[in-house]
Amino acid sequence: MRIILKEDFEKFVNSLIKDESLSVIGVKSKGNKFAFGHLDSASELRLDYDVTILPPKKYFFPQRETLVTYNVANGFAAKDSSDLKPTVILGVHPYDIVALLHMDEIFRETKSDPYYFEKRKASIIIGVNIQNMSERCFAPQMGCAIIDHGYDLMLTDLGNRYAINIGSQKGEQLLDKYAKNVTDALARDVQMVGQKKQEIMNMSQLKFNFPTELIPEMLNKTYDQSGFWEKHSEKCLACGSCVLVCPTCYCFDVKDDPHLSLEHGERVRTWDGCLLEDFAKIASGENFRPTRPTRYRHRYFKKGKYLFDRFGFVSCVGCGRCSSNCLPDIANPVNLFNDMYSEVLNMGVVIDAPAEPEVNIKSEGDINYVPKLATIINKVPMTANEMLFEIKLDDGSTLNQVPGQFIQVSVFGVGEAPISVSSSPTKKGAFQLCVRKIGNVTTRLHMLNVGDKVGIRGPFGHGFDTEFLKGKDLLFVAGGLGIAPLRSLFNYVLDNRADYGRVTLLYGCKEPRELLFGDEMVALEKRDDVEYKPTVDWCPENELWTGNIGVITTLIPQVNFDPESTYAIVVGPPIMYKFVIADLKKRNVPDDHIILSLERRMKCGVGKCGHCQINQIYVCRDGPVFNYSKIKGVPEAL
Amino acid sequence: MKPKVAFFDFAGCEGDELQVANLEEELLTLLEQVEIVSFREVMKEHSDNYDIAFIEGSCTRLQDEDRLKEIRKNAKIVVAIGACATIGGINSLKNYQDLDDVRRTVYGDKAKLFDTYAARPIDAVIPVDAYVHGCPINREEFLHVVKSLLLGKKPDIPNYPVCVECKKNENICAFERGEFCVGPVTRAGCNSCCVNEGTKCWGCRGLVDNPNENSQKEILIKYGLTVDDAIKKFRLYFGWQERKR
Repeated sequence: MRIILKEDFEKFVNSLIKDESLSVIGVKSKGNKFAFGHLDSASELRLDYDVTILPPKKYFFPQRETLVTYNVANGFAAKDSSDLKPTVILGVHPYDIVALLHMDEIFRETKSDPYYFEKRKASIIIGVNIQNMSERCFAPQMGCAIIDHGYDLMLTDLGNRYAINIGSQKGEQLLDKYAKNVTDALARDVQMVGQKKQEIMNMSQLKFNFPTELIPEMLNKTYDQSGFWEKHSEKCLACGSCVLVCPTCYCFDVKDDPHLSLEHGERVRTWDGCLLEDFAKIASGENFRPTRPTRYRHRYFKKGKYLFDRFGFVSCVGCGRCSSNCLPDIANPVNLFNDMYSEVLNMGVVIDAPAEPEVNIKSEGDINYVPKLATIINKVPMTANEMLFEIKLDDGSTLNQVPGQFIQVSVFGVGEAPISVSSSPTKKGAFQLCVRKIGNVTTRLHMLNVGDKVGIRGPFGHGFDTEFLKGKDLLFVAGGLGIAPLRSLFNYVLDNRADYGRVTLLYGCKEPRELLFGDEMVALEKRDDVEYKPTVDWCPENELWTGNIGVITTLIPQVNFDPESTYAIVVGPPIMYKFVIADLKKRNVPDDHIILSLERRMKCGVGKCGHCQINQIYVCRDGPVFNYSKIKGVPEAL
Repeated sequence: MKPKVAFFDFAGCEGDELQVANLEEELLTLLEQVEIVSFREVMKEHSDNYDIAFIEGSCTRLQDEDRLKEIRKNAKIVVAIGACATIGGINSLKNYQDLDDVRRTVYGDKAKLFDTYAARPIDAVIPVDAYVHGCPINREEFLHVVKSLLLGKKPDIPNYPVCVECKKNENICAFERGEFCVGPVTRAGCNSCCVNEGTKCWGCRGLVDNPNENSQKEILIKYGLTVDDAIKKFRLYFGWQERKR
């Protein structure tokens, strides 16, 4: 521990500011509040602040950030980060440092986010122990009011001087280079810092009525208490304030921002929030979390349960920002959890032991936000709304997708959309996408011509396990556009026909004119190694249809299969799954013999942006293909 | 071929068209993308051959409906610009008063010569394809809508309240400054411009799709507004939308 007199500290800060190779940020007053901002002079620094309006995460994960630039003539490029300066951030409270450590884990998992970490690595964090605590702060209760790591330097105010804890070599070098008259701390200084920390631990007025280790388990017990969630969220404005000011929230949206010439532009990410109404809405208009209580609940579960299960920490640091920024005052986690504890007691449920999650964090490589350029080499209309595209990557590489995986398709200026690959990886060279005209990207795709360029990222997620399915009888069940992802596996199986047992395809759509891949389906009727049964919900009088009429489930009793050796592969619109699964269960198909593919809103493709999340699962990363036995207990899945 | 664009105005102050005229340099870039064939505020030429019609102002007379229907017939795409056209705007304040009184106040003894009926947004009369909200409109957002239409995509107009933008801009909440703000139920997209300048949100962009009006009114009252004043706060811009709900 070192000591610096306050006047020398001021000189230290001013010499940092004077060095133009550095960017110096500190806490300043803003009206009667505080905010992190650029320092022009040490005199602006307010280390006695209680809490800043926004946490310092805005310097690592800004409100708006360019990910990729594009030029219609040349394609996509990573954004230019050459102007990034080493950034000193002065006056970070310990809870915000803990929050950054959480964000580090989150942005590192699966794949690292290069834009977050380039700024994180360029930063020097100078923390300060809390001198004044905001009245909504409960950081001591979350164990985040004091900290012994995660900073480069940590200051404690000792009247006429600061005690400085050195947290890293980077911090020490900064001090050596820019500060004068730094001395070693005396025993009484060390003792005083200890006392200060004791005082901080007692500063909060807010108290939990139970040990906070029980939060994840308590949440577990109250998920289905809809009355509880309705009561607490009744006044929710769905304004997103609670999540936007949160130091550990990281959900984002990605959009294209074209220049007026439409010749070039950028792809930006902006903060998003799971409390906002359209957060889980997909292009077809379906909203997977449409009500305020379900979104309100999701926030608490994400912080207190899902992230805990994944990383081993409850991702709340007790800063109190959500609570003090909520106009109807319903976002105070202390009140909510105390109420939840009473609810659990009233339910007669005993929670004696905290949950112990199995944390197994893997990270491999960086996220690549830059799409590869590709060319549309063929375009075949299939129905009034669906088009089959054949696309080739311009660098000559093959997509190498596993059947069932999806890619992110970019159209210049319009954006990116997740689309399942329709062709089998056994088809070399170009790949195929069967695209329904439904959202912005897909509508624009339909307007493109052969020879036009698109961008491709991926493939992403888990596809079908073609190895595991070898030797098994396969019952394919496709509803409508569900045939598109299913066809990648179906064609793979046909191309390796000897490796698989009986193959049956049940395919349903609304009416004959909506039937996709008509020629291929007709060809199936001639094969004796595939049983093919199509159905339509109804057939208009002027159209010819010789097959079954009725919803897809009417076909299930018509086919013979042995439930023990058969695996059902089911892909269709969200509404279809429940009914098909129920009918398969009637035929004694075990849960783990049912495999399905889910559709959600996806922006990043690697489990970060939060849109595709169904309870603890990220569809983009853990799916889109799931074994039913793994998701049947996941309430938001089906 | 560049799409042909025309501007029209109904009951309104023409401030939104002025925002377009004020695009200045960007207006020149815009003209590389579109051909303006009618724009009374900046040119004297007029043509009825257009693809995109931008309509400002609300409909306040029965006979205006015919003109709107004519525009709809001529245009492939109709865009409502400004609060009067998108949500009825402050013109809808008169809908809560006796219309004869209103006419007498404005036209005195000539009142009988001037027809009027309840003010309404354009989409109460004809189908509207896109909206540029605001009073006045935000120039950036106008360009965003134009670019979106040129790219064949639906403009990205937020369905979340102004609070989102206030938080991103790190504003001190207007309520904490003693102001009464309707930002928590008002559609964002203005980059919280009024609050950024130290005032409050008046609601000119209209309500979000599913506003929690009861909660918002409770908040206004909790912070010291009377019930009557809270209702008036809502009426300033939400008058038409409130009646419809």
